[in-house]
Parts: sequence; C-alpha cells; structure tokens
Amino acid sequence: MSTCAHRWSMTDIRSGYLVVEGCYHCGARSSFFSLEPVVPIDEYREGPHFWEHLAGYQAVTFNLRCDTCGETVDLRDMMGLMLSTCDSTDCAVGRLSRELGKNTSVYVALCADSSHTSGHCVSDAGVRALEQYFNQRLRSGRRKITVVPCKMCDRIDRCEGIVIADTGLTEFY
Amino acid sequence: MKISEVVDKTGLEALNGWQDEDIAGVYISDMVSDIITGANGRGLLLTLQTHKSLIAAANLVDVAMVVFAHDKRPAADVVQLADKAGIALFTTSADTWAYALKLFELGMR
Repeated sequence: MSTCAHRWSMTDIRSGYLVVEGCYHCGARSSFFSLEPVVPIDEYREGPHFWEHLAGYQAVTFNLRCDTCGETVDLRDMMGLMLSTCDSTDCAVGRLSRELGKNTSVYVALCADSSHTSGHCVSDAGVRALEQYFNQRLRSGRRKITVVPCKMCDRIDRCEGIVIADTGLTEFY
Repeated sequence: MKISEVVDKTGLEALNGWQDEDIAGVYISDMVSDIITGANGRGLLLTLQTHKSLIAAANLVDVAMVVFAHDKRPAADVVQLADKAGIALFTTSADTWAYALKLFELGMR
C-alpha cells in the first residue's frame, strides 16, 4: 500500500456524451460514455434486455494522477457524478447525508450498470481518489466533499440527486 | 478583492443571501463539464447557465459566487439549492464579454 500523501490532478480528460438507456422489457437502466461525435440513439437487444435511448448529455470523464508519486487511478468505470439530495432513511446514501450534516456534500460516483447485475461499480480506489481530489480543491475549511459509489444507493434509478451533465445547452434563449 | 467590492463596482443584483469574502479568481464557462475541470476554489463563475446541474458542479469545486450574464435568472428551486450550498448568486444585465471587461478593469485576473 502506498505511503504517499497523494496530490491528485485530473489527467486524460475526455469530452463526449453520457448516454442513458432503459430496457422497456424489465425497466433496468444503463449508461455509458460515448466518444462519438453525435449521441448514439440506436435501439438494440443485449441478452434479456431491449435497450432504448432515454437521454444524452455532453459530459467529461477523466483519470486522476498523483503529482507526487505518479500513481494514476483509472476512472473509466465512472460515467459521472451526482450531487445527492436524498435524505431517505431507507437509503444508505440518504442516511449518510443526514449523519454528515449540512457542511458535507455527498456526491455519488455513477457506474455504467445502474442495476449492478454485473456486480461491478466504481472501484474503491477510484472513489477514495475522487474524494481526496475534490477535497484538495476546497479552499474553505468548513466544507467537505464525500464521494460514494452508486452501489450504495438503495435504488440508483430512483435516487434523488442532480447529475453533473450539460443539460441546458439548447435552452439559453 | 471582496465580493462586496465586485458587487458595488460592477452593479450586480443579488439573487440570494451572501456573506462577504475574498474572491480567488474568475472562471467563465457555460458547460458544467468544463467547470469541474477548471473553476477555482472560492472564485467567481460567470455563466449563462441557470440549471441545477450548474450548482451541483459549482459546489463540487467550491465556487464562491456565480454571476449570470444577460440578466439570466435561475428558478426558485435552483436558488434554494445554492442557498443550501452557500453559493452567492447574482445577475447582471451586461453580456458575458462586457461583464468580463468590467472585472478586468477592476484589476481581477
């Protein structure tokens, strides 16, 4: 285990689209990051799922690299970040937000498989590095950022929060 | 430079309550995906965007104040979210370029 007190910087910043799909057969949600020049909207079948396009937003993904030791954390498994506004006692994220209080903002790191049927989510190392990175950017001592993986949500497709994505680019005027 | 000085000298209209503090730089962007990669902690963010995602991004990177150009005004639920995050919101009738010039003339870099 590294003894370095990491100083993270963003690296490998990729601009693209956060694409959200839904299965009209079972209701599952899935998302992926596309580097294509336009949002892919194809419908297709994958195993038991019939995926259809629900939404596409301009977004970025990135990795984190430590300026001190050079360690890089691969965050390709993270589709985006969501500011949690959940305060449900039925949800672990909601309970954590209540427990941490108003000076801590809880952000959920979203993976591609919202149903988590594959068993994968954003890695523990990724979540830890994200939390360290965004706290290192804070200048006000009173505030804190906590990052949690989306598998911690009771039901991520129904979780209350605000996804950081460019939703309003065509709504200026 | 303090928020109060920026407000007075550039003629901003406050959209919520705010506390005075030093401003650490300026960032101009209309894309939240860009804001999370480049905005400064305790800085001023100048933008046209008024949606909730903007506040979620500004909060993540510790923006102190947001100035909406072109007299843009966010909805009440967006102001409420900014209140909760402790982010001061202002609007100006100037367009982005004209307001950026005002900040430059004030000496902000």
